[in-house]
This record gives sequence, C-alpha cells and structure tokens, in this order.
Amino acid sequence: MTLRVLTVDDSRTILAMLHHTLSNAGFEVLQAEDGKQGLDVLMSHDIDVVITDINMPVMDGIEFIKNVRASGQYQSLPILILTTETSQDKRDQGKAAGGTGWIVKPFDPDKLISVIHRVVH
Amino acid sequence: MSDLDDFKATYFDECSELMNELEEQFAAIEGGERDADRLNAVFRAIHSIKGGAGAFGFSGLVGFAHAYETLLDYVRDGRVEMTDDVVNLCIRANDIVADHINAAQSGEELDADYGQEEKQRFDAIARGQRGGDEDEWSGEIIEEFDIEFTPVRVELAVADDEVAEPIEAPVAAVEPDTFDAPPMPVEPGHWEVRFTPYRQLYSRANDPLLLFRELAVLGEINVRAILTDIPPLSDFEPFGVYCSWEISLFAPDLTEAAIREVFEFVDGDCSIEVVPLGHVVPPAAAPVPAPVAVVQVEKADENLMALTEDEVASAPVRLVAEAPAAPAAAEPVAEEPALSFADLANEISASAPPRPVPVAAPKPAAAPKPAASGEGGEEGGNRSSGVQSIRVDLDKVDRVVNMVSELVITQSMLTQQMDENLRARYTELVRGLEVLAQTTRGLQDSVMAIRAQPVKSVFSRMPRLVRELATKTGKKIKLETIGENTEIDKTVIEQLSDPLTHMIRNSADHGIEDPEKRKARGKSEIGTIRLSAEQAGGNILIIVEDDGNGINRERVLQLARDKGLVAPDITPTDEQIDQLIFAPGFSTADAVSDISGRGVGMDVVLSNIKKIGGSVHVRSWTGKGSRMTLRLPLTLAVLDVMLVKVGESPYVVPLSSIVETMQCSGAIFERVPSGGQVLQVRGEYVQVIDVAQRFGMHSTKAPDDRFVVLCESEGSQKVALVVDDIIGQQQVVIKSLEENFEQVEGIAGGTILGDGNVALIVDVQGLRVHQIHQNAA
Repeated sequence: MTLRVLTVDDSRTILAMLHHTLSNAGFEVLQAEDGKQGLDVLMSHDIDVVITDINMPVMDGIEFIKNVRASGQYQSLPILILTTETSQDKRDQGKAAGGTGWIVKPFDPDKLISVIHRVVH
Repeated sequence: MSDLDDFKATYFDECSELMNELEEQFAAIEGGERDADRLNAVFRAIHSIKGGAGAFGFSGLVGFAHAYETLLDYVRDGRVEMTDDVVNLCIRANDIVADHINAAQSGEELDADYGQEEKQRFDAIARGQRGGDEDEWSGEIIEEFDIEFTPVRVELAVADDEVAEPIEAPVAAVEPDTFDAPPMPVEPGHWEVRFTPYRQLYSRANDPLLLFRELAVLGEINVRAILTDIPPLSDFEPFGVYCSWEISLFAPDLTEAAIREVFEFVDGDCSIEVVPLGHVVPPAAAPVPAPVAVVQVEKADENLMALTEDEVASAPVRLVAEAPAAPAAAEPVAEEPALSFADLANEISASAPPRPVPVAAPKPAAAPKPAASGEGGEEGGNRSSGVQSIRVDLDKVDRVVNMVSELVITQSMLTQQMDENLRARYTELVRGLEVLAQTTRGLQDSVMAIRAQPVKSVFSRMPRLVRELATKTGKKIKLETIGENTEIDKTVIEQLSDPLTHMIRNSADHGIEDPEKRKARGKSEIGTIRLSAEQAGGNILIIVEDDGNGINRERVLQLARDKGLVAPDITPTDEQIDQLIFAPGFSTADAVSDISGRGVGMDVVLSNIKKIGGSVHVRSWTGKGSRMTLRLPLTLAVLDVMLVKVGESPYVVPLSSIVETMQCSGAIFERVPSGGQVLQVRGEYVQVIDVAQRFGMHSTKAPDDRFVVLCESEGSQKVALVVDDIIGQQQVVIKSLEENFEQVEGIAGGTILGDGNVALIVDVQGLRVHQIHQNAA
C-alpha cells in the first residue's frame, strides 16, 4: 500500500525537495503551505504521516500539531517536525504539542526515508 | 544533477520573494511599525532563507543567517528591544544576506569574513541581554547543519513538570554501580534495555512496536513484556499505560549510543535503562517474577525494510495472546487505537461499575484558530491566503500572449479586407467581425493582466541602493516610493531594473548635494529621491525626482560642445540641454565616479527604455532638483498605431503620442535661423520634422497635399511630423529590429501589417533628439 505523506512548509524549496525525495521513494505526497492548509488537507484526505515545518505564517507548526492532536481521530497519526534548530527548544515545543519525532534540515534523503519508517507501520 | 538545479532555481526564486518581503517589512519597521506580525514575518523570511541555504551547502549564508535569525528570535520574544540601532543593523544584515544569496547564485566567493562585523554585533547584543551565558554562540554554527542526526542525551530522571505523570509505580532510576548482584563476566555486545513508556509516548503517536522493530535492526533481540502492573479489568483505564518491557540485545559491536538513538524520539516520554550485560538490572517495580511473555526476533538484515511486516508485527500480538490473565491491552497502540479503545471502553463499562470514560467522544476537529498574523500580514505579503492563485510557468503565459497577438493581427487584417462593397453585401459578417474585434480586445486585455505585476518588485530593490549610495557618498538621502502597486507587464518590469538603478544613481551622485551645501542653501540636510509610478492612458509613467542641485546646464553644454555634440554657433534651449545627458557617450562626471560612472552614461537608460517601446524625458530646475520621467507602454506586445505613408512605404506612429493631424495646406510653417522649420499651432511654435527627408526617401506628393501629424513627446514638448498620407488606425504587434539589425535612430521597431507588409514604427522622441544633433552638426 502506498503511504500518503502530508508535507507542510512555507518554503517552496523545501516542499519541492521533500516531494522529490518522497515520491522517488514511492510515497504519495500532499502539500500544504501553512498549518491551516495542512488541517484542511487532513480533513479531506487519509494521511499516514505528516511532516511539518515549525515557522510558518498563518498557523505555525506548533499550533498545527496541537490542532491535529485535539481532533480525536488523529491521535495516533505520526507527525514529524522539520527543524533546522539543534537547539532543543523548538523540538521540545513540537514534541510537547504532540510531535512524534523530528527531521533536521537539511535532510539526507536516505535518512529522511528511514526516519519515516521509524514512525509508521 | 538537474534536479538539484531545479531546486536551486526554486530556492533563488523564493529568496528574491523573501528579500522583497524583507524590504517591505523593514520599510514599515523603519517607519515605527514594530508589531509582532512584522517581526514574525521577518524572522520567518530569514529562517526560510537559512533552511534552503543549508540544503545546498551555502555555508557562509547559513552561518550569517543563523546569527541574524537568533537575534531576530530574541527580538521577537522581547528579549532584545527593537531600537533604531537594531533596525539599522538588521537592514544592513538584509543587504549582507542578499549579497550572500547573489554570491551563491553566481557561484562567486565572498570574503570569508564578510559580514563578520555585523555578526559580532548580533553576538554583542544577544550577549548583552543574556549576561554572557551558557551555550557558545559565536562562530561554530556550521556544524549544527551536519546531515547526521545529533545523538540526543537520554535523561533517566524525569523531573520536568511538562512531562506527564509516570505510571503508577514509577521505575526507580538505578545507578548501575548500586547493583548488588555479583558482577558477571562481561560479554561484549550483550545489552539489557528496560523500557517503560509513559502515557504521553502514545499520545505523540510513538509506538513501542516500531522501537522494537528498529532495535531488531541493530542485532538479535529478545523482548519480555512486564505485565505485573496490569490492573483488574474493573480498574482498567483505556488510556492507562500498564506495560513495560525488557529487551536483551546482542550484536558484536553494539554501542550504547546506537541503542539510545533508537529511543531518540521518545526521550522524556519513557524511562530507558541501557546496561551492558554483566550487570544485572534489578527488577524495579516487580519483586516477583512477572508473568512474562517472550518473543524472539531474529537478527534482521541491515536493511530495515527487509524485515517483513509480519515478522515484526506479529511479535507483540503474540505477546498479548500469551500473557496469562492479562486484559488484551498490553500493547495499547494498535492499528486503529481510537476504535479499539472505544471497543475496550464499551467492554469495560459493561463489566465494571459505571465510571466516566474519557474516550470515545472525539472532539470535533478543532476549528483552526484565526491566524495570529491574519489581517496584518496579508496586506504586506504576497503569500496572503485570501487570494486564490495558481502558479503557472511563464512560458505558458508567453505562448498565450503570442497567440493572442497573432489573433489581433488576423482580426485587424480581416477588418481591413472589408471594403465598402463587401460591407454593404454582408451585413451579418460585418457584425460578426465587430464582435470578434471586441472579444479579441477583451481577450488581449485579460491575457495581459495575467502577466502584469506590481512595480513593487523593482521598487523594493531601490531602498538598498539608496542606502549604499548614501554611505558611499556621505550624503543623507531618503527614498520615497509612490504607486508601487501600479501594474506593468512582467517583461517590461524585467527591463526596468537597470535603467531605474542608473537613474537613481545619477540622482544620488549628481543631484543630491552634500549635507553642508544643502544646509547652506536652506534645504533640509536630508535629500529626497522620490520614485513613483502611475498609469496615464495607455502608458505607465515612472518618475524619478530629486530635490537636489538640478542639471548643471553650463557644464552640460560645455561638455557637449567639447564632444562635438553641439555646434559652437548653436544656442540650444534649456530643455534641449537637459536632453543632452541622454546623448550617446555623454557623461557629466569629471572623473568617472564609482557610483554613476562605470563608463556609461544616461544614454544606456534611454536605449534600454526605447528597447521596450518607452521614452525618457528629463526636466530640471537649477538648485531645486530634477525630474526624469520614463514613459512605458502598458504592454510590450500590442500597440495602437496610426498608419501613415512616407514615400511609398508604410510607417506607423504610436497612437498614444499623437495629438492631432492636419493637412499641410492649412498649416503655417516658418523658417528659423538654425536652418530648421517650425510650425505655428495656435500661437505655439513646434519643431517640424520631415519624415521623408529624415529617412532619405522621396516624397511623392506636392507639399500642400501632405499631412502633419502633431505628436507630443515627453514633457509636453510637441513635434510635427510631416508625412505623405494618413491611412488609418490599427493595432500592431511590435517586433524588435535589434535582433536582426542594430538599433536605428528614430525607429522603435517594426511590425507586420494586416496585408502582410512590413512597416517601421516611428520613434518620435528619437527623431527629436536626433534633430537637435543634426541641427547642431
């Protein structure tokens, strides 16, 4: 079964790179440019794993994750946080909000895929 | 690799958008608007630039952007105040970021210490508020962008109050040293892992099963579930966490770090003990040997994916099944937890005293909160979510534009073919053609609107230029921009950047005076350059004004005479002198200055603007300032023209420049001493240009049968073109001549007429300038 990944980032560059890497690895990729759009996509699609940036306009990643977790049906949806910070606080905030794991930008394609498999069945 | 190039192209595109956004935000911030929305937008822009730069290994950019971003982060959360000094530093930092981006794009190397001074100032400001503290800030940032994941220290003690309560019987963190069991011979590569998840591990969608699967990749594992804490069914809470695990692991060169890395994501969400075998982990919570279910997972191939779903997935399931008397929830996360929990809850409520079950009532999906940056951010950004938009390749739009242009020609050709005879006979066809003409026009307007962009994208680059110029010249200059939302065809905008840059350089370098001089003249010390855009009829006017010195006419004329541009016996008018700055090879700078010099003069501006069918005009007021006006066509593609005949050849004159036409028989011509002719129109004298004579053709008509086309060039200066015949109005598609020929004085381009003939487009302004030279010669 093809896994469906929702990528949420306000950077077109990052979205494009994620799309490229993930679709080459056989995932189906959906995109959103901020948290609000991400929620909209989640409402209308079955998603297996979410990859989200933290700093975004309109609705940031933390708010987005909180909203996803608050919505009952997505409590077990794996959410990976995209982060450039190695300083722990962004990552901790993301985790406290309900993030499952994280991916450090810039990501190595193989590593990205293996991190996804780490959190999805 | 072309993919990478594509990504880079996307990245640089995005960068230029982000830099524009930064300019915009800082224009407002400089003006005192320092609200959270703006600061957030600025932070995000730098953050995005850094993110992409990291992906492509632009380490200089990453390093600088990181330091800058950290400062912005402090500003954002109020730890650093956004004083004017900080604003100025940030503006300077934006320029440095832009330079880094440009260097990255062009593959140039910047000096290694470029921006170092600013970076140190970020450091100083940040340190100032932190009181010289913990993490080392300066310098070594690059390493953070290593592709490798940094191993995360796993803390055994969970002290943070953020972390949810551990399960009922917390596992005491035990120092390995305190183990009282007799030491056993150490077998390298054998490890014991005790893993006790807390509730939040599940609420963050982590799953012990996946962790085991990953451990299985490391080596041979043996998992035992500790089921002692599982309560009687009546006390069972659906979201309770009752199960922990002990895992023995073996692989020859297994390190503790490798094991801990598996638990990286669940750090803080569980208790983890990793001990090399040889130590014995005393059972912490279970004094009595627990009912234990054992499952053996063979050492999997290095490749995680080689482990089949079944092999792994079956493990905990079997585990659950074998656990005696344990409710079937030892492994609470299953494929559909919400569902299974709900089922479980039903079961419990059937067999237990009623108690509130906190499950099974999933809240309706929380309404997305209104964006914090909603209204504020929208007006500023081009990323507003209110406007629905799609991205279309410019090529595709260009193709449509081209086809519509051809359609316009075809339509005008059809209309031309309709002579009186046909019109009378086929009224329906005539009506149809009229509708076609209207629709074509509408289609053309709509298509051109797609390609139109606000001039903002060019204007927003100018504040930086002015700042640089002010610094270099030691002058104080303020830039005002007006009408930056005026839309122009994208192709025109692209051609606009260089001329504008040149004009602003010229104003800053030659126009604006030194602060002392300005003071002496009773002006404000700060000079103003005003950049404005407006639509006027079928044209866009871009005006660069300054309140500086004005053109030094004496010197301009002297230089022009020295260079042979003006004959000694001619006395040009002030207006003519001003126009001389556009003459090829003319430069007023005594020495070629670093700023506006560069070996080219304003003639470059003129030729660039002409290339896109526009014109330039300058007006100057001595001691008060000058104004340069660029008149640009709304679109490059289609031009409304009047078709005239000169000799046997058709010429077209842009309709937008024509004021009126008249027959020569009724016109009053007068000779002037310089050898030229003027036309008297309602008391005004207008320079006359005989197009036939000018282009070396022979007029086929008697002087009185010819026509005058009165045109207005820049600055309401009129010029009378004498042509042999006036044929009519039509729309034409401009074709550049320069691709095949060189630039021809007085000719703006060519076009193909409806009947297939080629006609040249007359450049009114060019003719005029040329006439001045010719009179001078």
